[in-house]
Amino acid sequence: MNILEVRHIQKNFGKHPVLNDLSFSVPEHSIFGLIGKNGAGKTTAMKMIMGFLKPTGGEIRVCGENVAYGNTATNRFIGYLPDVPEFYGYMSAKEYLMMCGRITGLKRLQTSKRIQELLPLVGLDGIKRRIHSFSRGMKQRLGIAQTLLNKPKLLICDEATSALDPKGRKEILDLLSVAADQTTVMFSTHILSDVERICDSIGLLHEGKLALHGKLSEIKNTYRKEAVRIETLNEAQARRLLEHLHALSFIQSVERSQNAVTVQLHDPQKNGLKIIDVLSDEQIPIMNYELLEPSLENVFLDVIK
Amino acid sequence: MNGFTAFLRKELLEHVRNYKVLILLSVSAIFGMMSPLTAKMMPDILANVKVEGMVLKVPEPTFIDAFVQFFNNFSQMGMAILLLVFGGLLSQDLAKGTLIIPLSKGLSRYTVILAKYAAALILWTLSYVLAITIHYGYTLYLFKPISVGHLFFSLFCLWLFGAFLLAVLLMASVITRGTYGGLFVTAAGLGILLICQTIFRMDTFNPLKLVSENVALLTGKAEFDQLLNIAWITGALILAALILAMAVFKKKSI
Repeated sequence: MNILEVRHIQKNFGKHPVLNDLSFSVPEHSIFGLIGKNGAGKTTAMKMIMGFLKPTGGEIRVCGENVAYGNTATNRFIGYLPDVPEFYGYMSAKEYLMMCGRITGLKRLQTSKRIQELLPLVGLDGIKRRIHSFSRGMKQRLGIAQTLLNKPKLLICDEATSALDPKGRKEILDLLSVAADQTTVMFSTHILSDVERICDSIGLLHEGKLALHGKLSEIKNTYRKEAVRIETLNEAQARRLLEHLHALSFIQSVERSQNAVTVQLHDPQKNGLKIIDVLSDEQIPIMNYELLEPSLENVFLDVIK
Repeated sequence: MNGFTAFLRKELLEHVRNYKVLILLSVSAIFGMMSPLTAKMMPDILANVKVEGMVLKVPEPTFIDAFVQFFNNFSQMGMAILLLVFGGLLSQDLAKGTLIIPLSKGLSRYTVILAKYAAALILWTLSYVLAITIHYGYTLYLFKPISVGHLFFSLFCLWLFGAFLLAVLLMASVITRGTYGGLFVTAAGLGILLICQTIFRMDTFNPLKLVSENVALLTGKAEFDQLLNIAWITGALILAALILAMAVFKKKSI
């Protein structure tokens, strides 16, 4: 079942079109990464799912129910973490979560119990300070606790890691991975390594549309380049290798930079052995030999070219 | 209802922790104390102001004079302070984006408006009652009480005007953008009411009369029926402002 369905969404800001016939769906229990350049319309799309912005056209369904602009009942299924979450600074983390619990209609006891589970999970247990003295990472973690409070079916995180240092980012990604056991996560970012770490499917937003949509592993397979990278001990050896490789018929192109040679070839698993034959015949010692995996970065740059 | 009580509690906590309660209560206490005192000391103060060739003759201050001071203080300084304290009532939340998470948790937008109005009204009522209590106590102590007409209604008129101001402020904050938009629009609205009253003499429905006729009510010089009508009209205006605020806020991009 699809938790989220976005169908033919359009959004113009004045005459400037931001989203143009955007359609995608997020199946239950997946971690969906929405990626795109800054200004591609990720936040706009998420705000429309929350009913905070009015689409110029199209429809959005959450758990089978239509999202209405303004007061939308579908928000009861969703936990939302904005890109820079703003809290009431005069409250403590516990007070804030108690307020959120009351708003969603949880019973007092239920809320207290949930808070006792969540505060240790996000590492804010025993912190009695008011929120205005919290660091950005702490606020982001409190934001995640807040989204999980009422066990939502869909967790929407807008650029949750973009403003954090590597340690803070790791903490948030780990939290999202844990959360994904119980819920569906939609996660927007422009940091591709974060997507590679936790997402199982992605959508690439470009010029108002999804330029790519599908399972991360399948996308990587489609964009797989058949290439091998060989490092020799010194430049002279690399130059020698280059000359010999040029002579082989199955090789498409060869490039060298310092002591590394990158080879594009047909069927690298079979023909790779012939390269190794060359290496052994010519007595060229190597430091490293690897089949190149396509990185998401290459796919990304390829698609938005 | 869950959302309303939750958000009302949050609003009241905010007013306490951001010192709004402290400011309003202390200002009210000062006004309540100062009004009868200044009335009592007015002859002494004026006697010290020496103007050559003029003899200032001031009649002995009375019970009524204490109320003149009280209504003067509250209708001018009091209202200005009320506006300044609650100026960011909704604008701050909107400008900082603090409403996004509560709204994403399913808080109704109507509730936001109603809870904010309720909290501000509670605070205004509390401080006004405190001021009246202190003022009345001192006045009884310093002056010989005389019987006055419509004392309760006269005090109620001023309270109602405060309630009206808060409703207009909330509506203006929904309609405008930025932190001070609501404050400016409310001030401009007050200016228009003032022009209507002083230049065009539109007296029959002008809420400003609620804060300009209080003493006249006590001395029996004002038309009670006309003011009662204005009180009803103001009540209707408060309702209209709140309904408009809710309708516009429902469709506002956050």
